[in-house]
Amino acid sequence: MDIQVTYITVNRRGQPQRDQQRVAGPTVILGRGTQCQIHLPDPRIALQHAEITVGESEATIKADAGRIQVNGRSVDGAKLTVGDSVEVGPYLLEVEAPPAGVPLAVSVKLVVPLASFGGDGRRFQLQAPRLSKRRLSYIAALGTLLICLLAPIAPDMLGYSTLQPATATRDTTEHMVRTVSDRLVQTWNPGPVSQAHQPFGTDCRKCHQFPFVQVRDLSCVACHKSIKEHVPVASLTGPKGHAFQDIRCAECHRDHKGQQMAPRAQDECAVCHRDVKVYTADPKTGNATDFYSDHPQFQLALLDADKPDAVRRVRQAQPAPPEMVERSNLKFSHKVHLDPRGVRDPAGRQDAKAKARAEDTRTVMICADCHEPNEGGRLILPVSFEDHCQRCHSLSFEPGAPRRQAAHGDVEKVATMLREFYARLVLGDVPAGVTPPRDLPRMRPGAVLTSGERRASLQAADQKANQALNELFTEQPEKPREVCIKCHQVSRKAGGAGWDVAPVRFARVWMPESLFSHAKHATEDCVKCHDVKRSGKASDIAMPDIAVCRQCHVGARPVEGKVTSDCSLCHKFHAGKNFWHEELQAQLQPRGKK
Amino acid sequence: MAQHQSLLEFKHGRYLKVALLLCAAAIGVYWYHEVPSTQVKPYGGSWLGYTLGTIAALLIVWLMLLGLRKRRYSSRLGSVQGWASAHVYLGTSLIILATLHCGFEFGWNIHTLAYVLMMLVITSGFFGVYAYLRYPELMTGNLAGETLETMLLKVSDLETKCKRIALDLPDEVNALFMSASKLSAERSALRGSLRRQLAGIDTAHPMRVARDRLIQMGKRYSGDQAKVQEQLVVEMSRIVALTDRVRRELRFRALMQVWLYFHVPLSFALLMALIAHVISVFYFW
Repeated sequence: MDIQVTYITVNRRGQPQRDQQRVAGPTVILGRGTQCQIHLPDPRIALQHAEITVGESEATIKADAGRIQVNGRSVDGAKLTVGDSVEVGPYLLEVEAPPAGVPLAVSVKLVVPLASFGGDGRRFQLQAPRLSKRRLSYIAALGTLLICLLAPIAPDMLGYSTLQPATATRDTTEHMVRTVSDRLVQTWNPGPVSQAHQPFGTDCRKCHQFPFVQVRDLSCVACHKSIKEHVPVASLTGPKGHAFQDIRCAECHRDHKGQQMAPRAQDECAVCHRDVKVYTADPKTGNATDFYSDHPQFQLALLDADKPDAVRRVRQAQPAPPEMVERSNLKFSHKVHLDPRGVRDPAGRQDAKAKARAEDTRTVMICADCHEPNEGGRLILPVSFEDHCQRCHSLSFEPGAPRRQAAHGDVEKVATMLREFYARLVLGDVPAGVTPPRDLPRMRPGAVLTSGERRASLQAADQKANQALNELFTEQPEKPREVCIKCHQVSRKAGGAGWDVAPVRFARVWMPESLFSHAKHATEDCVKCHDVKRSGKASDIAMPDIAVCRQCHVGARPVEGKVTSDCSLCHKFHAGKNFWHEELQAQLQPRGKK
Repeated sequence: MAQHQSLLEFKHGRYLKVALLLCAAAIGVYWYHEVPSTQVKPYGGSWLGYTLGTIAALLIVWLMLLGLRKRRYSSRLGSVQGWASAHVYLGTSLIILATLHCGFEFGWNIHTLAYVLMMLVITSGFFGVYAYLRYPELMTGNLAGETLETMLLKVSDLETKCKRIALDLPDEVNALFMSASKLSAERSALRGSLRRQLAGIDTAHPMRVARDRLIQMGKRYSGDQAKVQEQLVVEMSRIVALTDRVRRELRFRALMQVWLYFHVPLSFALLMALIAHVISVFYFW
């Protein structure tokens, strides 16, 4: 079952040439592949394009991977009869009359020669018009570099002085360059500056004076002249101590963090205060690293009334050390004043039962009756006799003149005042509301006194005044009323002329280094921290110790229901005595020269 | 061993593990510093920020060296596939490293500009990875054993054939085909602009329009003319089908390349923004 295949080609002179071949059937394959019996070497032909099968009575053609057209019709397969023409890609197969003994004869002719097609692969590469990746990269890189880096630093590179604003220059180029630079350099700002530094506006060089140099302290103290040092630089000892004095302001005070400067970390305090002896030979504080877990007891500043200039620093302890007393020279009992039944008070109240028994009127006192916060609310105002005590503790000296009271605070003044009061009565000039005492001689109105009578009258007045003074300043066994000695220590002056009242001093600020504020603790009861209900003596100290604070305050690590408290909640850093800029100036002096 | 290994699966994801380790370490250290509430929040200027920033900057420079390495055919410094695998994974890890470096602080400044450029480069890179993993398979399906060149040869043959068929038809049909053929060539339909290459199929292709009009016109013909007209429609449909496949091939080729037109120039812009970022930070220290 062979097939006769005739390849028709065209020779150089354009004449057709026929090349007959016999291929073995019954099935022959047409295709580009070299294993095909009818080999059609053209890229437009599939590897196995079609196949021809020759049977006993008929021959058929079937499309494989390619497409065929029989007599102009696109088909998948067809019967072949003599005269049929089959298009196989660019080839034309014609069924010819077969010679004897051969069931099928076809001629194969390339009718559409391979055009000289521009098979240039690069033609189909993606090409953005006029923009290669390389060119785009150069543009992107150089543009970014110019806008982000070169333009902002142009004034420095061109050697323009930036001390004056750009508007101050007359040079047009310089003006332009600096105006553009000033705008672009704003894009360097990593975050908004703190509110306090807003006035500097966009002038980076106000703080950042020199390129590639960290902000120096001199830039800070140019404005912050009143900032104190942490500790005197001279007190820092050892290599670590000297390293501390080189710490810049900006290492703690980080700006460009929004409205506020970034908060300080308590770990930074702990670096030195873990063992403060390493940094100074003469530590003034105990070691501490965290308020809750590692903090010494509080130290109180105590005063001695008899040593006006001395402050005793006594550290709290359990039990309290013997020197933890206040030596105020005052006699006072919180327990008595805070009696829940009240204290006797002429202007107080009484219920019906008490009235029936003719008891004294009483008032139940609260802390705020005597202890008022100051304007800022941080501290408590000092207790004053006139404002807080006198309402109950009257200084009246004459039963006939209950509204007359002795002045408080000066023995001489009191003596003068009493003498003048009684002299006036003796001379017959009795003010309204005053009933002169019966034992005081009184002259008749309109009488003219001889000098002897006058002297005798005034002597009588002085005598009465001295009697009244004696009642005020000394204990009177027959009279239960105590006036001055109720609260004060009174002694008779040497020689018997007058009295000495011991000076009174009591602490107003017990922890002068602390930033404690009463206003921030206004939600708490006073007695929660100041346990005075059982205090019977003025020497008792009712300052809370650290355990009381720790009921609410924990350290830097948050605990649910507690107030997180780092060092800076209570402590000032710049708590030294000297101004920091003076310390800086001292450091800037050449060392080792005399 | 499989003949082809995706660059994502290189050495069983060796660089995926490296990148995950790097990210986990960075997150761990950041978290360690974030916990105490009164601590200074980590940011670019803290020691953690400097460390992460240095790592990220060196990483960016190294990632850009892939462009050099892939051109050095003689280099023995690891295989290019290994480099590409590391490029993808370590490049992705920059999202974590750079975000932790800045401590989630963003603003209208060159520092965030560098960050945004970096994110754009990474995003375009993600598309590149997707293109490299997905499109070759689609392209093989579209070509169905042919090549772009053979398809173009076929188009050219078919046009010649159509011209011959059209000669047997009335002038109006002949003119229609000839103008469509000329328009196709003029529009340079197979090359086209970047936009048209990416669009894939050109619905306004002159040949498609002419074929559709020819179908309308064909209703008027009868007998042999109708047969020839039908034949012309069949051939023209083959041209349209072939050109659509060519276009689809070109579209895939374009998609495989177009992302690099963003990835590469943006990465150079990023490099410069990075230099500006580093210098600016220390210029006004």
